[in-house]
Amino acid sequence: MDKEESPQIPRRTTRSLSTPSTSNIVPAAKVNSSLESLTINDLLVGGDPVSLDDIISSFPGRSSQIHEIVRLLGPLNSPLLPLFVYGGASTGKTSIILQLFRHLNRPLVYSSCRTCYNQRILFESVLNQLLLHSKNAANCYANAKRCERPSDFVNFLREALTGVINNLKEKSEKMISKKKVHDGKTGNMIYLVFDNFHLVRDWDKSSTILPLLFNLYDMLKMLEVGLIFISSTSPDTFYTNMGYVEPIPIYFPDYTEGDIRQILLRNQANQKLYSSFLDVALKPFCRITRQVGELSTALKPLFEKYCEPLSDKGKGVVPSEDMKRRLFNHIKPHIASSLNDVFKVSSAPSSEVETGKQTKHQGNPKRSERSEEIGDLDFHMSTSAKYLLISAFLASRNPATLDASLFDSKGGSDNRKRKRKASEKALEKKEMLEEELLMKGPGTFPLERLIAIFQCIVSVAEDPADEDEQKNEELGAQCGSGSLMSDVLLQLSTLCNANFIFKGKSCPIEGSTRYRSTISEDLVLKVARSLKFPLSKYLYRS
Amino acid sequence: MAPSSPSNTASQLSSTATENDLQPFFVLHKASPRRKDRTSAGQGKSRKRNKLSPRLPHSAKKQEESTDEECDRYLCQQQQIEAFDIVWTKIESTIKDVLRELNASVFNIIQKWVQECFNTTRLVGEPSISVATRSFPVLSNTTPGKLYSALVVTRNIEFVDDIMTFEELGIFLKSHGCHVAMLSSMEFSLKNGIAGCLKALLREFLGNSFDPADISALASWYREQENYNKPLVLIVNDLERCCGSVLTEFILMLSEWVIKVPIFLIFGVATTVDAPRNIFPSHALECFCPSMFMLVTPAERMDAIVEAILVKHCTTFNIGHKVAQLLRNYFINQDGTVTSFIRALKVACLLHFSMEPLSLIQGRILVEDQEGSSGLSPETLLKCMHELPSHARNIMVDQTNESMAEGLSELVTVQKLWSTVVLCLYEAGKYSRVQLLDLFCESLNHVLYPSRDSVMSDEKDHGLSSTNDPFQQYSIMQSGGLICQIARRVRDLPPGKLDQLIESWDKITADISEIHEKLKILQSSVRCQDGKSSRRSSKDINKRCDKDSRMSNLQAIAFLDDLVRNYLRPIEGMPFNEIFCFKNVEKLQSVLIGDPRRRIQVDLLEFHNILCCSCCNKSGKGLLPSRHDSSIMYSLAQEHGDLINLHDWFQSFRTIVLQNTNKRKQKSKQTPLSKKRKEMNGSADQNEASIQARFCRGITELQITGLVRMPSKRRPDFVQRIAFGI
Repeated sequence: MDKEESPQIPRRTTRSLSTPSTSNIVPAAKVNSSLESLTINDLLVGGDPVSLDDIISSFPGRSSQIHEIVRLLGPLNSPLLPLFVYGGASTGKTSIILQLFRHLNRPLVYSSCRTCYNQRILFESVLNQLLLHSKNAANCYANAKRCERPSDFVNFLREALTGVINNLKEKSEKMISKKKVHDGKTGNMIYLVFDNFHLVRDWDKSSTILPLLFNLYDMLKMLEVGLIFISSTSPDTFYTNMGYVEPIPIYFPDYTEGDIRQILLRNQANQKLYSSFLDVALKPFCRITRQVGELSTALKPLFEKYCEPLSDKGKGVVPSEDMKRRLFNHIKPHIASSLNDVFKVSSAPSSEVETGKQTKHQGNPKRSERSEEIGDLDFHMSTSAKYLLISAFLASRNPATLDASLFDSKGGSDNRKRKRKASEKALEKKEMLEEELLMKGPGTFPLERLIAIFQCIVSVAEDPADEDEQKNEELGAQCGSGSLMSDVLLQLSTLCNANFIFKGKSCPIEGSTRYRSTISEDLVLKVARSLKFPLSKYLYRS
Repeated sequence: MAPSSPSNTASQLSSTATENDLQPFFVLHKASPRRKDRTSAGQGKSRKRNKLSPRLPHSAKKQEESTDEECDRYLCQQQQIEAFDIVWTKIESTIKDVLRELNASVFNIIQKWVQECFNTTRLVGEPSISVATRSFPVLSNTTPGKLYSALVVTRNIEFVDDIMTFEELGIFLKSHGCHVAMLSSMEFSLKNGIAGCLKALLREFLGNSFDPADISALASWYREQENYNKPLVLIVNDLERCCGSVLTEFILMLSEWVIKVPIFLIFGVATTVDAPRNIFPSHALECFCPSMFMLVTPAERMDAIVEAILVKHCTTFNIGHKVAQLLRNYFINQDGTVTSFIRALKVACLLHFSMEPLSLIQGRILVEDQEGSSGLSPETLLKCMHELPSHARNIMVDQTNESMAEGLSELVTVQKLWSTVVLCLYEAGKYSRVQLLDLFCESLNHVLYPSRDSVMSDEKDHGLSSTNDPFQQYSIMQSGGLICQIARRVRDLPPGKLDQLIESWDKITADISEIHEKLKILQSSVRCQDGKSSRRSSKDINKRCDKDSRMSNLQAIAFLDDLVRNYLRPIEGMPFNEIFCFKNVEKLQSVLIGDPRRRIQVDLLEFHNILCCSCCNKSGKGLLPSRHDSSIMYSLAQEHGDLINLHDWFQSFRTIVLQNTNKRKQKSKQTPLSKKRKEMNGSADQNEASIQARFCRGITELQITGLVRMPSKRRPDFVQRIAFGI
């Protein structure tokens, strides 16, 4: 913005503080000089001026909310009751507020309660902006004021606000006197915007801070101050006690599918192609989420896939019906799979080559004795950790009452016979049980049970070792089952750290901690395969 | 524990500190006055062993005055420590180099990635200084900025190995002009919350700590002139261990600032790339723009280390077959980290130097090696031996001297040959994914090929063309095991790869003239066959080519067989090998795999094996007064099942203790303990209370050692034995 106004700023505390010491930091000096000249104009959103129609057109489906807010903000210098803007994630709340202020060209103090993660930082951030303070090496990136207590905050805030408002008044008077109408009037109002306001509820039970912020309007009694709260939860989730001016709620509903379509189309190079892509892909995705952010991340790789058959990645193509059909057939199998895929990892090109090589290596015929090393598992785990993982999985899946029959000396074969004879009614019952098991998720188990199962499967697995792995047995002769057992607890902590086993909270000495295995069956199968362990024999299925 | 045994414990502690007599657990014992003279049993024992060096002649006639011996011992110890230091420093630095080399390529790729990401963020456009330090988000019509993040897959569930790797990565990136911050999972803990990790982040980047850590400080700092043109990199080396909620908060906060502060995240992922999916909720996941990088597998790392340290012999230190097996099994079954393997190697090295007096020659050899004289001349060795203090007093006949020197130098030659053969085999084994660690173990086994000479004589009779399957004549094809597997693979190698293999052999054997000559013959014959096949007319080729290539494969196998039979001789079986070769597997095992749970239980039951006191030996099996309370209690607990009735347990404990004090009263009056007891006996009530107190303390001790569990609410008068590990 224009630096013309800067000499008029009376508040120069920061500068006078910093100028003597800038000589110490030579390279920063230049930056400092440019940083220091924060003016009241830095409280404006800035950027090119934008018309209301532009804003409305760039936020499809939001015109009513925009008009509402503009009406409430009112013309220049009109006081504002606190606003409470709420709605789900990525529904355009923050962007619309900021764009409107850009359009109106009025100063605001914005603090996100995410960045300002506790009340002290929130206070100091608000004060920093009001006092036009900039952090730099000279002032050791310190805040303008140290402010921890709410009462201090109110005092400082009042002081700072009066300063700023006087400043603004001065400025607008000057403008009127100079007849510089075209420069855009900033007015005398200053707005405090609190974004992500729902997070405040989690700060030390919000006992003091929430009432304080809601009460701020009453406490300050300054007509020139407007408060705007932006939250993703409704005001009902905040009001703990009354006694202050209730903010005016403005609800941002979720976008409709048509709105989403328009938003997604906004920044596309080839609108026609993308629109034909959205015809195919948007519907299934919209069933899962309506959040624009999530959708655009999910759709981006899919669109790349969609464009694959096209020669120039779909830059200038106008799709014909025939081509659409062809592309649809191409994309169809990928849609379903990418629905579940929130998180796609791309590997760097060079490392991809490497991994490709590796898989080729693995593909080599290897009926060797060494296949136990890694197998299909793509990370290294020691043998005892593998057995422990399997036992944890079994302990979580199987009901504890069946341990005896599954792990007795006769093994699972006896069990199976019994199952075959089961009557239809029993089968039904078991089906119900199975369903219940699925609904309940993995069960918890005490340490003793885990160790007992571990001991069982290790002893079983080491008996028939001579059949397939002579060499390993020869090598492992002196490292028998006893030493596989030796530091089980260490292995357990390793598995807990890798998030494979979840450990409930409890006193470790008392031993009443319960564990739960959280791994997928796929991974266990991989591990079991790498050990040649007959997992299915021990897994209880009705 | 036992109140009156401070002097005893102190001496024992000091003995463990000075010496690596690493007995894992002690049950403290009430002192009986007799044992005062037995101050440093452990130390004495190991020292005795220090002095024993079975094969060497001079040690046999060691009947000197004690003062001389003391002095000697001290000198010797000094030298041993010195030698160990020299050798271990060398090994350690070699390991470091090897690991650095392994990681170099991945580091380069990561650095490129950082640079690319940095360039793309710059393309979007730089916000002006005032915009960048403001609190509200940058308004733009494009989609919100994403956090570029690299998932570096460490491929090992254990994390220890990679701490160093990430540190080096940090240093590497720093040297390539990035601002680097390293955070560990400790910072992302629920206890410290978001404030803790921000504080750590600012400390890493800005250098000093801020009380209310605020990310806007980072933004301001980054806009300073000298910081601005470098990318910011944040390395979190163990993603899985971080507290998910804190990390999520942190990521969301960073994503609010992503355009103003372009920070690149590098996460170390131990398991699979899916790990972030399990940690982050979807709204945090969508902030990422992830890429994946793979580090080398632990097995590859291990092979590189084995190759540098144990096969190529950067020092003369070596390990025996059994020890190698132990280390291998430990790696595969137990721990699976390179770190612990190195640690085990270090322990082995230390044990070796402390147990084998002549081993300190190695240090000298290494020093002289570095000074310039290459190789090991017998004179050097001889000189070293002369300098041994023990040698000075034992005048040897010149002849013995010389034969010994010859033996030593032969040892070194054999070792060199052996390592060349192993490398050749490993090169061939690469085609069938043989791991060097396994090959190493197998080739150290001198029992595997016991009848080398006899096989060789058989071989001569067979001739090359006699049998239908010409490959079967070679002993390496029949022996089984890894070497056989490698040979089989060589048999099936296509010609192109075979040529590659022979070329790589050429490089390996370049210094060893004996083997190199043989290789030259092989090369020429293979080349000759190639020439023949190329000269043939096209119709023959298909038919002939196969046979020709088989011929060259056959020759390659013949070459390998020759190598294995003649040169794959582990030094373990040779004279003087004790100087270089560490073989004491039991000792290493007890140090390495302490098996503490088992040890605790055994020691509680058989404590007299350690303490060797007179009182317990006399009485045999019975439970005796002087035993420690928890030991008595654990022995009593053996009579119960998994559940122990507290009342019964207490009663039996009480009986023993009372019997104990009654006897004591008459027997020993000089110990302070019994005096205390007597005073206590004054009132029966007090006595009863003290027994109960001791009982409780005993239980608590057993509970802390993890042997029993406190009574549950369901069964208030039973404690449960936690019986596993034995």
